[in-house]
Amino acid sequence: MNLTRRALLTHSMLASTGLLALNGCAEKLLEGTPFANAPRKTALSLDQAIDYPSHVLMRLSYGIHPFDRHELLSLANNPDDAANAWIEQQLGPESIDDQVCERLIRRHEALEQPLGELFEYKEQVLLREITTATLLRAVYSQRQLHERLIGFWHDHFNVDMSKGECAWLTVAYDRDVIRTHALGHFSELLRAVVLSPAMLWYLDGRVNRVNEFGMKPNENYARELLELHTLGLDGDYTQTDIMEIARCLSGWSVREQRRFRKGLVEFHPDQHDPGEKKVLGRTIPAGGGEKDLDQVIDLVAQHPATARHLARKLCQHFIHDQPSSSAIAAVEQAFIRSQGDLAVTMRALTASTDFHAPELRGVKLKRPFHFLASCLRVTAAESDGGRPLHEYLQRLGQLPFQFPTPDGQPDQAEAWTGTLLWRWRFADELTRNHLHKTRIRHSDLLRHCGSPSGVISHVLGRQAHADEKELLLANQEHTLALLLASPLFQRC
Amino acid sequence: MTTQRTLVTIFLRGGADGLTLLPPINDDVYRRSRPTLAVSDGHRLDDRFMLHPMLAPLAPLYDAGQMAIIPACGSDDSTRSHFYAQDLMEHGGATVAGGWIGRFLRNAKNPSAAGVLDAVTVGSAVSESLRGAPNATAFSALEDLVGSNTDRAMLDTLARWYAKDALLGAPATAAVAASVQLQALQHAEDKPQHNAEYPTEKSHGGIAADFGKKLRLIARLIQADLGMRSACVDLDGWDSHFMQSSVMAPRINALGAGLAAFITDLGSVLDHVSIVVLSEFGRRVAENTSLGTDHGRGGVTFVIGGGVKGGVKGTWPGLNDDVLEGPGDVPVTTDYRDVLWPVLQRHGATNAHAVFPEHQLRSVEI
Repeated sequence: MNLTRRALLTHSMLASTGLLALNGCAEKLLEGTPFANAPRKTALSLDQAIDYPSHVLMRLSYGIHPFDRHELLSLANNPDDAANAWIEQQLGPESIDDQVCERLIRRHEALEQPLGELFEYKEQVLLREITTATLLRAVYSQRQLHERLIGFWHDHFNVDMSKGECAWLTVAYDRDVIRTHALGHFSELLRAVVLSPAMLWYLDGRVNRVNEFGMKPNENYARELLELHTLGLDGDYTQTDIMEIARCLSGWSVREQRRFRKGLVEFHPDQHDPGEKKVLGRTIPAGGGEKDLDQVIDLVAQHPATARHLARKLCQHFIHDQPSSSAIAAVEQAFIRSQGDLAVTMRALTASTDFHAPELRGVKLKRPFHFLASCLRVTAAESDGGRPLHEYLQRLGQLPFQFPTPDGQPDQAEAWTGTLLWRWRFADELTRNHLHKTRIRHSDLLRHCGSPSGVISHVLGRQAHADEKELLLANQEHTLALLLASPLFQRC
Repeated sequence: MTTQRTLVTIFLRGGADGLTLLPPINDDVYRRSRPTLAVSDGHRLDDRFMLHPMLAPLAPLYDAGQMAIIPACGSDDSTRSHFYAQDLMEHGGATVAGGWIGRFLRNAKNPSAAGVLDAVTVGSAVSESLRGAPNATAFSALEDLVGSNTDRAMLDTLARWYAKDALLGAPATAAVAASVQLQALQHAEDKPQHNAEYPTEKSHGGIAADFGKKLRLIARLIQADLGMRSACVDLDGWDSHFMQSSVMAPRINALGAGLAAFITDLGSVLDHVSIVVLSEFGRRVAENTSLGTDHGRGGVTFVIGGGVKGGVKGTWPGLNDDVLEGPGDVPVTTDYRDVLWPVLQRHGATNAHAVFPEHQLRSVEI
């Protein structure tokens, strides 16, 4: 890049962010801002292509916060080791201090109420609070990979708050089931899902009962358990397996309206089919009662088709829309060897050849929620996670906890390519600080990144190429908006 | 010329009294039960019903066979609670996920093909019936949609930046085009077509003026052919326990004058637009001591345009004691979903189970 042009670019960006006047007193302004505790800077030296540390941050988090790269690089002497150390840290979320984010979440006290108390709240209040909290965590949690996995499992074990009592039960589901087990063992996660009042409501398990009047089991959950949650559609099971599992799970119900301890999950032996069942080739003897459920969980959680199904979905989410069979195999093997330890499984995914392949970096389209969160992270925006953001998520078609069908929000790029205009609008409104209670401190961001080109490479995760610089130069009033609206930033 | 089919859903919140919107003719029970509230003149439709006089602007549509009216229509709600009954009707079932329009939109065609303004509510929040839609937007004015971004330069830069993108190139071109169209629309003169005259505060009062404004916005979006498949708008305040006439008159006036202008404005485009008017329930047959009526069951549903087969449809059970339900309410002889489904089919719906999973369909011929 020729020097005159660089100088020109620098100058025009400074002018566009209204910075020149503020430069002198910026030190004072930093107090109490998102930049107050900035790590001591090492020069941000980014390549022409996305390097491994940037790739790790882009792919495993909700976007690169201005401090992230510095903090990652401080973990080891060489950048690749540092990136691996960051992954290792992220795989043990409880060891990461997350007080700042937790303080923000604590303001939404409804979300901390025990299940029974949740029914005291209006459903619209809970919906608003949980949407806000989910956004705040995606943007401000230090446990970024954990948050990404929570998002993944919410799609995998989708529940829609608009169905019956899910409006109340989803709050406990998010907190006690998905968040608790997202990086634990799959069989424990699955068990918690199967026994959650939210899933029992959402997929009708609560009305799966038999009695002497010839009431037949309700198969809905048994079918989705096999098709979506465990073995997968090509998982080699039969209609008989579905019916037999429905018999095994019959009798589990959720305590109904206007009763003491509403929402409690309980087993009714009189509504359970006590006979012998045969599931996936295994005989479950008669009279097992509530223990039938444990046997079903063990069978499906340890089934080889489950390992393959989950490995494929995880690779799709974190590597490529069409993952290679070698990547799937590596993840599948780790899942089987570790008996469904999700941290071990994710470690194997990040160690796979495909995860490291330079040509597979920056190719995964961010879904709208991810895009929106990454805009806030990359600009270190201050936000209350409130209504204007919810409205954008709705326009973009990805409000959390509001997807109607049990297959969860689609993960492939094609489903989301129609959302560009609202993404651009969001980038524009955000960078103009037009969104109520969400704010970017442009001057601080520029100072932190050192220069306009520093901002550009920070947002893109690599240096801008000549043609990209030219485009940015052509429209200096919206440099940051253009960066967030660019095709590169739609991907991770 | 508009080619996209659009479903316009008007929800009359509060429980609109079907016996006032569509008064029965020569019905002794009606006159005895409503000594002060019975409507005695209006536009005669057939030997059983007339239209409330303030709905007379819609009569030519009925006469042209472009309006179906379904009395004794409603949901299986028996709580007679506004909140519950509205929720039930908007979701299209008691324990289903999402709203009925949301499920329709998601199942009608590839959701990724949905345009930026696929589903809208003109109002402050997206309607419950749109829950689960591929995307949905609430707005009160075009300015809310266009936002601050009126800068062509930024769009031009983005168009160039995305041009070579194999995946996002074509969607970016479409997004730029939609944005340009919306901006053009915002700056275009807001002139209703075919000399349509929307109600003003002066001509029909504030409620009608406000409702008319919302319908005009929908008409503009339809006329701009932005690919909008569904638009929702509410007309609130039908809960006429007390002094029913003064509660209902301004709203019936709004409905009649607003819809008549909207339909004139659309002109022949009405062939592509179905208008559905719903309320969560009708009201009790007998008037109460405050010159009002209380929550009931069966109400009246209107379907206009979009190729509808007009006429008074469904089964009218009459008002004799032996047919009334509970405390004396018009029973529901036609489930609202049996009215909606044939409409949705004309808008490309094929999978009834996906849209109304809890309901065994017995579609009305409309």
